[in-house]
Amino acid sequence: MELKIRKHEETYIIDVNGEMDLYNSYKLKELVMKMLEKKIMRFIINLEKVEYIDSSGIGALIYVSSTLKKMNIKFMIANIHGSVKKVIELTKLIGYFPIANSLEDAIKAVEA
Amino acid sequence: MTLEKIKKIIVDENSPLFDTTGMFYKEFPSDFRQIRYFTLLIVQKAPPEIKEINLLEQQISEVIKNAVKHGNKSNPDKKIKIWYSFSDEHAHIIVQDEGEGFKELEEWNDFNEKRQKCFLEQNFEELGKYVAFMTDHSDEYDGGNALFAAVEYWDEGVVYNKKKNGVAVKKYFPKRRIGYYYDEA
Repeated sequence: MELKIRKHEETYIIDVNGEMDLYNSYKLKELVMKMLEKKIMRFIINLEKVEYIDSSGIGALIYVSSTLKKMNIKFMIANIHGSVKKVIELTKLIGYFPIANSLEDAIKAVEA
Repeated sequence: MTLEKIKKIIVDENSPLFDTTGMFYKEFPSDFRQIRYFTLLIVQKAPPEIKEINLLEQQISEVIKNAVKHGNKSNPDKKIKIWYSFSDEHAHIIVQDEGEGFKELEEWNDFNEKRQKCFLEQNFEELGKYVAFMTDHSDEYDGGNALFAAVEYWDEGVVYNKKKNGVAVKKYFPKRRIGYYYDEA
């Protein structure tokens, strides 16, 4: 799994590339926690290039999502698809996560 | 979905899901680093129609991870035993470890019931309390959500043996009738 950060105005987008599994999902949590030290107020996690997620990956998304919610930070998850979407559906978290169908929609939502 | 249909983990040593007749068998050391590799060795026997890209692999890897990590505490001297069979209509796995058993099973069922009620009521604020099932043995790498998906995915059941150190799971895949349309009206 590879994590890349880019910026769109005041929004920080984390592009996740690869598989979010039991061996690497903690890296996403660590990265977000590190970024929070810099007082970032708008986050998007882009899962466009993620084709595999397991319960550790879902756990990382829950951790990030609940932490940012408590801190009133604007946050969206963009581009879930394929088996990633299926696993989130099976876990019944579709309504829990702030999900946008595209990066454009996610940007609109956090910058609103 | 109604409350009656809330899925549970059951304990039933005599369940037909524990019948290993005609199943393949493998055993592995409880090496945490190799969980996904072991999973691939099992799932390679499955026909592509039921793999749903990698969903079957992911669900099997969760069952193996639970046995390696939570059952055998990743002690490579302890083995996990796996029985498995696949066809274009089913996936059936039994995984047994040498651990003390899933002692929090009833607690998990209660937790999952509360969680499902929140979901039925679409109360996502309350659902936030039930997104992860953690025990005294959980660590920061545990998602605490694998079994939530498992009881939904394995639609023929998630059944434990009496000692709760063995689990049998099965899923039925209805055959798709392509190019055939029947209108009841």
